[in-house]
Amino acid sequence: MKLETLSKKTIVGALKGDGLRFNVGGFNVCLSSSVPAVAEHLLSLYGAFDVLDNAAFIDFYTALEPPSKLRRYFRPQVNFSFDGYFFFKPLPYKQASAMFEWGLNWCIASHSHQYLIIHAAVVERNGQAFIFPGTPGSGKSTLCAALVSRGWRLLSDEMTLLSVNDGCIYPLPRPISLKNRSIDVIQDFAPDTVMGSIVKNTLKGSIGHVRPPDNSVAQYDTPAQAAKLIFPKYDKGSNTVLTSLSKSRALLKVTENCFNYNVLGFKGFNSLSNLINASDCYEFKYSNLEEAVNLFTELAH
Amino acid sequence: MFENNLIALPTAAIIHCRFWDDECVIYNQLTGDVHLIDGMGVEIFRVLSTKAATLIQLLQNINSVFEWDIDFDAESYLDNLIMEYQKLGLVEVTENTSA
Repeated sequence: MKLETLSKKTIVGALKGDGLRFNVGGFNVCLSSSVPAVAEHLLSLYGAFDVLDNAAFIDFYTALEPPSKLRRYFRPQVNFSFDGYFFFKPLPYKQASAMFEWGLNWCIASHSHQYLIIHAAVVERNGQAFIFPGTPGSGKSTLCAALVSRGWRLLSDEMTLLSVNDGCIYPLPRPISLKNRSIDVIQDFAPDTVMGSIVKNTLKGSIGHVRPPDNSVAQYDTPAQAAKLIFPKYDKGSNTVLTSLSKSRALLKVTENCFNYNVLGFKGFNSLSNLINASDCYEFKYSNLEEAVNLFTELAH
Repeated sequence: MFENNLIALPTAAIIHCRFWDDECVIYNQLTGDVHLIDGMGVEIFRVLSTKAATLIQLLQNINSVFEWDIDFDAESYLDNLIMEYQKLGLVEVTENTSA
């Protein structure tokens, strides 16, 4: 059963009760919260995800709740907990939905060592996965949202899950996180994009989440094969330039973008080596999103 | 300095080499460090990843791949390179008992 088939009342009731259980990529999540914005966030962005019954195994028990009764009235805050433990400082109450996304990122990155987790967006077309590793500000999420709006399959906006067992990339098609100017850029580029509420004044500025395409969510259990590894760099006013990068240098660069490379040791190195073997590697500089999308669409033919 | 010695990858199989074109990446499983190697170093590790070699054997191999300027002292350069790799724990140098 899809989450969007439930009424708002049912979702709010589940969140306030034993928690709403739903599938996110290969992970099962239980979320409890009395914060109304969280229910709105799920309704607008997680509609295509499967709701789970009480018998389902849950990977991550999470909650978003105000820290104390006093804080409901004076500079209200919200806390994220995992398995009943608090790992982060509370954030302003209005940032609850963004805190859910960040908290779930942390849960997955900290506990899923069956994957080498690369800080990278990954999208797929014609059976070829294009991986865009990047530091904040590199423009990877903007590129990802733009490509997805033109029919590319979303595998993940934030974390590329590379299996250390079979070398495949496993989907985690969660909402795409856009920051600051990228929000307007994508709204102009793809006016049909469904975006949740904009959360302002976070540590990263304004945050907007884009709803993942339903067909990407439906293919959450279909892995993909890596074809291109592209290091993007948004550079205002620059031409669209794609430059080959040697495989050795690409490997070194991508190690800097992994969450758990050191945890995995040789398995991590070996997985990355195999990924590099299978991929053409590039550096990419751009400022024109339309040109970028056309170039990658051409490359995927 | 190493002319009578045998140069090899460490016996504990902690060094893993991946070769692409004219570069290679070396992973040290003991430290987790990754090293990007190019130029003459690639040929050194190409040889050592198949078998141990003396400095002379390495030099012969390298001379078959590279062309040097007439005044370039390849032997000293190789000697220094091996010393650097030894410091990084990427190679071991032992006495060549068969010499």
